[in-house]
Amino acid sequence: MTSVPAILTEDQRDCYQEITNVAMGQAADSLARLLGAYVVLPIPRVSIIECSELNMALHEAGSDDSVSAVCQGFIGAGIAGEALLLFNDTSFASLASLMKYAGPLNHQAELELLMDTASVLIGACVQGLGDQLEIHFNQSHPVVLGQHCQTDDILRSGNQAWQRTLAIEIHYTIEHMNIDCELLLLFTEESVKTLNKKIDFLLD
Amino acid sequence: MTQGQIEITDIHWLMDILQNIDVGLVVLDRDYRIHLWNGFMESHSGISPQKAKDQILFSLFDEIPEAWFRQKAEPVFQLRTRTFTIWEQRPFLFRFYNSRPITGQSELMFQNTTIIPLESLDRTVNHICLIVYDVTDTAISRGEVSKANESLSAVTSKDSLTGLLNRDSWLPTLDHAIAEHRNHQQSSALLVVDLDHFRDVNRVLGHVRSDEILKRIATALSTLAQENCTARIGGELFALLLKNTESEQAIATAERLRRGIAGLTKSAGTDISASVGVAMSHDALTDAQDWLNCADKALYHAKESGKNKTTLYQYKTQE
Repeated sequence: MTSVPAILTEDQRDCYQEITNVAMGQAADSLARLLGAYVVLPIPRVSIIECSELNMALHEAGSDDSVSAVCQGFIGAGIAGEALLLFNDTSFASLASLMKYAGPLNHQAELELLMDTASVLIGACVQGLGDQLEIHFNQSHPVVLGQHCQTDDILRSGNQAWQRTLAIEIHYTIEHMNIDCELLLLFTEESVKTLNKKIDFLLD
Repeated sequence: MTQGQIEITDIHWLMDILQNIDVGLVVLDRDYRIHLWNGFMESHSGISPQKAKDQILFSLFDEIPEAWFRQKAEPVFQLRTRTFTIWEQRPFLFRFYNSRPITGQSELMFQNTTIIPLESLDRTVNHICLIVYDVTDTAISRGEVSKANESLSAVTSKDSLTGLLNRDSWLPTLDHAIAEHRNHQQSSALLVVDLDHFRDVNRVLGHVRSDEILKRIATALSTLAQENCTARIGGELFALLLKNTESEQAIATAERLRRGIAGLTKSAGTDISASVGVAMSHDALTDAQDWLNCADKALYHAKESGKNKTTLYQYKTQE
């Protein structure tokens, strides 16, 4: 593995921020259309994080409540990463009513809601990023990392062999609704170099 | 001209690949009529592409819940986004039977599916492609792992000789009973049972027969208390929790148990007896260990005063 001095210049960071704003807006729009509700547009956080900070980043998102999480890989043109969607478990009741989900809100129903929302949010966000970078991203199948678990348990299965990489964190909330979720896009270390080149090209 | 020929060859190849790829491909229009049905789908369903063409998906496969599938597919038409279903949600979309008599481990094929939008030349989305993956092996191995984990936790929480809980996995039951006492004034009794001069028994009978005695005592204990309330907490030291029990009842049970153990003497051919310490749940108890210490003190008293006895722990009355 090559050692990547994954450091962003001020310009690069601004550019990522800009691209994310657009992608996230598209994703929020898709979500709003799916749910028929107003999605509060958040400010995404673009940063280089250390592997050890990943847990911390999730903790900020999930607080101490129990959470459910889905992870989905994306890959295209030498750029790869994973999108992780973390839901506060208290969100499901509101989600069910917005999505007009009939029937009891059991484990299975929550899984459906989690998957439906994740498909739309992750899909739209990854596609939005891809459109701007002119990359067609393929998406792998979503993996459920856990339902009703503590944030600490979410990452237990992975072997995180990377050191520092690019992370984009987006916190979505729905107006007047108790819906709270965190979308984390994490790129592989190798992708950062390629991404930075693309970004530099856009900056020129 | 040459270029045109290359394109036709390309499409020919592509069609060959679509036909032979080990993934199911189905193209549907807005009415969910089938437009493309590849080799994988034909092989597993037994329905030929000619027969599938223009059929409505739901009328051909009544196992697909229409409302559910529409919920996954509509966003693809409307939002032009991909959607996914995984076997954890619904094990399969199409009821395809196991096609591998030797290595197949499941009766049915587990499936993941992806639904992608297909853009027409005018960039509108009037068709979607349903991609079906066979994930039976993944699903089975996940099942095996969780089965293995279950038996692993059973192994680590139970005493291998007697099948009773071990000390660590039993202690939370005590904490729970303390909380019950505190919150609902529900009184419980803790009994610790220690075999008297077990070293001598071991020497006379040998390990195998002594183990038999321990197993018989474990069985006797299990009949007295609820499930998960009995444990082997040391070599010849057993414990049981009697829920919703007052002290008189607890002593009666302890005595019955003590007499039963002494009754093993005849069949064993050597003196077998046990001493029992009893401690009731109490407001003063801080935790499971504290309670266990009280019962231990009662047990010690029974041993000191001649063994083969039952002693009830007396809490100091607070002034």
